[in-house]
Amino acid sequence: MSRVTTTSDAGNLWVNRLRRDFRASLALLALLSLAPLVVTTPYSLGILIVSIYFALLALGWNLLAGFTGQFSLAPAAFAMLGAYTTALLDYHLKAPLAVGIPAAIIGTALLGWLLGKVVLRLKGPYLSLTTLSFAEIARVVIGNSVEFTRGDQGLNVPTLFESRVGYYYLFLAVLLSVLIVLYLLMKSRTGRFWLAIRDDATGAASRGIDVVRYKTLAFALSCAICGLAGSLYGTFSQLVSPELGLLMQTGLVISMVVIGGMGTLTGPVVGALLVYLASEWLRDFGNIQMIVFAAAVILFARFLRTGLWGLAGRRFRRQSASGKT
Amino acid sequence: MSVLRTEGLQKHFGGISAVADCSIAVEPGEILGLIGPNGSGKTSLLNILSGFLAPDAGSVWLAEEVVTGMTPVQLARRGLLRMFQMTRVFTRITVVDNMLTAGLALGLSEREAERRTESLLDELALAQVRYLDAGQLSGGQKKLLEFGMCFIEPPRIALLDEPFAAVHPVMREAMAGFIRRRHALGQTFILVSHDMPIIVDLCPRAVCMNAGRVIASGATRTVLQSAAVIEAYLAASADV
Repeated sequence: MSRVTTTSDAGNLWVNRLRRDFRASLALLALLSLAPLVVTTPYSLGILIVSIYFALLALGWNLLAGFTGQFSLAPAAFAMLGAYTTALLDYHLKAPLAVGIPAAIIGTALLGWLLGKVVLRLKGPYLSLTTLSFAEIARVVIGNSVEFTRGDQGLNVPTLFESRVGYYYLFLAVLLSVLIVLYLLMKSRTGRFWLAIRDDATGAASRGIDVVRYKTLAFALSCAICGLAGSLYGTFSQLVSPELGLLMQTGLVISMVVIGGMGTLTGPVVGALLVYLASEWLRDFGNIQMIVFAAAVILFARFLRTGLWGLAGRRFRRQSASGKT
Repeated sequence: MSVLRTEGLQKHFGGISAVADCSIAVEPGEILGLIGPNGSGKTSLLNILSGFLAPDAGSVWLAEEVVTGMTPVQLARRGLLRMFQMTRVFTRITVVDNMLTAGLALGLSEREAERRTESLLDELALAQVRYLDAGQLSGGQKKLLEFGMCFIEPPRIALLDEPFAAVHPVMREAMAGFIRRRHALGQTFILVSHDMPIIVDLCPRAVCMNAGRVIASGATRTVLQSAAVIEAYLAASADV
């Protein structure tokens, strides 16, 4: 009557999978914290900082696509909106970064909540197209509002630190905080309900899960993470421009999550580091990064849907299973 | 007082009348069989009762409360839980996690949801596969899992849409036995099935629908022998 049980231990339970995943992400961050000991040039440190910026975007997008099943095409747009919130508050009101950065988080969360309300009844390509339209509208409006935003010239943003090492550890600390928040959420009822919605929204509603509420919450939180990342990136680069919201940036974020492993905490961080570092390396061979990453996404989607972290997880389980026998 | 009743329900899809002037009543603690040929409106009626479709006219009462047009979430929280014809489980999490999620969604504490999960998985013979992802289960096991999820918190009414379809006889007996045991404790069910022996076995009373209308209701054997029901099934088989 019943099938042979292929996974016979409690390690497959969501809380245990999540705990393993979280510990791995902490180990990865511990390794990253040692990087300034070996990576000493400002240029290389800058590349690592931008990788962490992308890791934040990847975690934000993964919350929507990997944990809740909503395929948004607007993570880069929300990073741009977060960066512009901070920059515009400084430019027009001389608001300090202590106001500008939280305002970016709150502003993008509210916008995300509103966008979530609009798209929550849409599925699949309709949801993606609506978020893509929003992203493009936001970018074009910012680019064309020359009097308010200085258009394509961009805006200068004050810096938080002069030291790149200081920035590196700030980005790392923010990444750690986001991972902790996501871990706690995914461990709670909210996380379980997101997973249920991802797997079957109709089934989730029939069990009493408020699909509308939890989808909107995921949207708001994901956008807030992207907004925070964008705001910090602006202070690091000291310049924000509409290029931050280019669709190509979103493509990069998606390839990072797919290659690293969707629906996990460690996968997007691994993916962001590998893809961004590879992208810097590929620069020497001309503008072929997106071709390489798009091909990689196709291969991963076809042959390795769980991404690199999923592959590592399977190997780990197989090894621990053979160790037990 | 009826635990659930409908008055003059209507639902049209374009020019097709899926549910027409449908009035039924379910008494506390009974298993009401809902039968009818394919396309007779049974699933549309369940969709209205569980909030997945809003009726064009008519009303639904849950005991003394009008619940017409309420969302599936509102109805689930009022104890109207449903099993679908096409199984709906959460495929990328384990069997245990599916059950826990169902319990937490209805407000159980984690500890209580865990306790009930273990007991239900044992009762439904799913304990062996408890750590498998639901997507790895056979079709019958998925049905059993969805069935179990409906009972993590005993519902006021369980709406079961074709629970026995394409299920191994041993699993079918496990489900039927479960229904009998819960019925003995006073659980109310609406059971949609094409499996007439099991309808006769489990349901003292049945309602037969055809073309969206109730064409017969009463004692199950009497309903099955009524001329209108025989004609509806013969017409449906002649159409095939």
